[in-house]
Amino acid sequence: MRQLLLAAAALLSVGGTAQAATDIDFFFPVPVQGKLAIEMTRVVEGFNASQSDVHVTPVYTGSYDDTNLKTRAAISAGKPPAVALMSANFIREYAIDQKAVSLDGLIGKDGQTPQAFIGQFFPAVRPNATEDGHVYGVPFHNSTPILYYSVEAFQQAGLDPEKPPVTWQEWVDDAKKLTKHDGDHLVQAGVEIVSSYDYLGWLTSGLAMSNGGDYFNHGWGGEVYYNSPSTIGAVQFLDDLVHKHQVMPEGVIDASAASSAFFSGRTAMMVASTGALGYVRDNMKKPFKVAFMPRAMRNAAPIGGASLLIPTGNSPERQQAAWKLISYLTSPAVNGAWSRFTGYFAPRMAAYDLPEMKAYLAQDPNAKVAIDQLAYGEPWFATFNTVGVRKALEDQVQAVLSGKAKPADAMAQAQKDADALLRPYVEQTALKLPQ
Amino acid sequence: MAGEDVRIGLARASRENMVAAVLLAPSLLFLAAFTYWPVFGVVLRSLTEQRFGQSASWGFGNFIRLFADTHFHRVLVNTVLYAVGTIVPSLVLALFLAVALSKPGRLTGLLRTVLMLPQMVPLVAAAALYVFVFLPGEGLLDHYLAYFGRYATNWLGSPDLALPSVILITIWKNTGYYMLFFLAGLAGIPADLLEAARIDGANGWRRFRDVTLPLLGPTFAFVGVIAMVNALVQIDHIIVMTGGGPSDSTNMILYYIYQQAEQNLDLGLASAATVVCVGVLLALALLSLRRLERGIHYES
Repeated sequence: MRQLLLAAAALLSVGGTAQAATDIDFFFPVPVQGKLAIEMTRVVEGFNASQSDVHVTPVYTGSYDDTNLKTRAAISAGKPPAVALMSANFIREYAIDQKAVSLDGLIGKDGQTPQAFIGQFFPAVRPNATEDGHVYGVPFHNSTPILYYSVEAFQQAGLDPEKPPVTWQEWVDDAKKLTKHDGDHLVQAGVEIVSSYDYLGWLTSGLAMSNGGDYFNHGWGGEVYYNSPSTIGAVQFLDDLVHKHQVMPEGVIDASAASSAFFSGRTAMMVASTGALGYVRDNMKKPFKVAFMPRAMRNAAPIGGASLLIPTGNSPERQQAAWKLISYLTSPAVNGAWSRFTGYFAPRMAAYDLPEMKAYLAQDPNAKVAIDQLAYGEPWFATFNTVGVRKALEDQVQAVLSGKAKPADAMAQAQKDADALLRPYVEQTALKLPQ
Repeated sequence: MAGEDVRIGLARASRENMVAAVLLAPSLLFLAAFTYWPVFGVVLRSLTEQRFGQSASWGFGNFIRLFADTHFHRVLVNTVLYAVGTIVPSLVLALFLAVALSKPGRLTGLLRTVLMLPQMVPLVAAAALYVFVFLPGEGLLDHYLAYFGRYATNWLGSPDLALPSVILITIWKNTGYYMLFFLAGLAGIPADLLEAARIDGANGWRRFRDVTLPLLGPTFAFVGVIAMVNALVQIDHIIVMTGGGPSDSTNMILYYIYQQAEQNLDLGLASAATVVCVGVLLALALLSLRRLERGIHYES
């Protein structure tokens, strides 16, 4: 009887604390490996155990695109999650559509200015987290494109593996030496650049930025610069790699095709995300190294990754609870641990001052290269209708890579398609003039 | 007296109707809430024009924009190519296999099972596997083609080869399933008809052409409609393998609808495309069912 009473008392007390805490949901995607979902659940359990005011239920919501879809559906249904981890270049659309809460108020309650708050993150990730000076997202994990190369292939071609190509010219020269032909067939490609949807827009933007361009209007979501010399030149460069220098296979190469070609020695170099570093490390049997993306005029590394946002439709209490979770997840210790586990870099600069982070970088020089390239980070393209505008370019670049179109014509068409998608927003903003 | 009987009868009939209505009401409710209401909603939305920051108005603007969209033209052509390219070969192959395996036996039983296996694998899982089969150079396909002197082929990455590759998988996936219907159809053909034809001196091909094939009419009508619906809605593998690329060369109408609705947040265009798509499908289904039903009143 006594035991029963005790059990009842225990139950009541558990119920009591659960009721006092604010219960919130947290939507998060996993871009690649399934392991990450388990790790994220563990991180959130750590948060729940660290305090008793907020209880968070993590909800795995698939890919970046799925998470966007589910978050928008949940907002429309009037039951938004308190926090969502969102592809960083979707934040602008959430701000435009007024589907995300400006975080300035919550930052202010902590006694900070929005500028001071966002100043704690690497400069390169700031533009994608803010809109018109207001903070809408808090960067959580990020990546950039990077050049992977096989040490063995470099040695066989008589190249020094300690001296990866730095400029586009060197890149082409090295790629030619690294390419092995058998008649018309590529036995070993000099380089493979991932060119499936999503990846291709990102990588093309990096090449265009390195080629002197901005690629998109960084401050306003109504313009892209596809039909501009900087982008046309970048696409011409891709075309040349395939059709003129013949160092890259024709057609579209998706991420799995590029990485398996790299693992089996069918390509000597590969351009992919720093986020794939862990995956390559686990699967590449032969020694490999990574290097900065070679440059045309300037080094440029477009940012990828995800930020935390609070959807509209959450009560002030829930927003406060959400803010508590966001502050925890982006604290230097938690953000750094997540970075070491995943291979993404931690956007919170202070994470790199921690001893465990210093030890990690000392032990893996490739991870250090990825961080160092951040100094050349540029914002991820974000516009009205980001995915459609991106696809307008990608469809045309894919046609170029397949030998079906020429860069100048292709970019003119891409610009036309993108402008049509941007038109409704442009009409309501830049072209909406005083009557 | 007779009038009273009628009245009692009517009362009973109306009570039975009441009972039926009460019993059917829950299904009607669900049907209305989850089928009719959304259908109505889509039609309504297809006629509602609303673009960013503007108030909604009524009209056919969404349809005008839809038919002017070159991506939509491309997607329509792809969908037709895909439908014809998958339905015709899989039906022919399924019929051929069904005829070959119609006699019961241990070996035929085994073969039937083997042919049905692809149907058991979820399309998404099959697609994830086929990504590796189709890998240029390393994939299973290129591995074996190398014996014939072919090197790496960019199966899924070439705008010319991607659609045929996807079609090939669909045929592989569906043929066994359609074979099952043909097996059932063949089993339903009365033996005495074939016997009579044989006595009349018809050879194997004549018997097949003039007896078996016409009697399989209903099966054809049924499988044809199923295959048509499949061609339109089973696009899981396309999403996994190509995402509709390269350059929209494998993009299908259903994925186009998704892109408009979820990526471009253009519900008007997506709804208009849905209405067109379902309308065409409905017309085709009615046409094929009616046409085939007309010629199938054979009795032994």
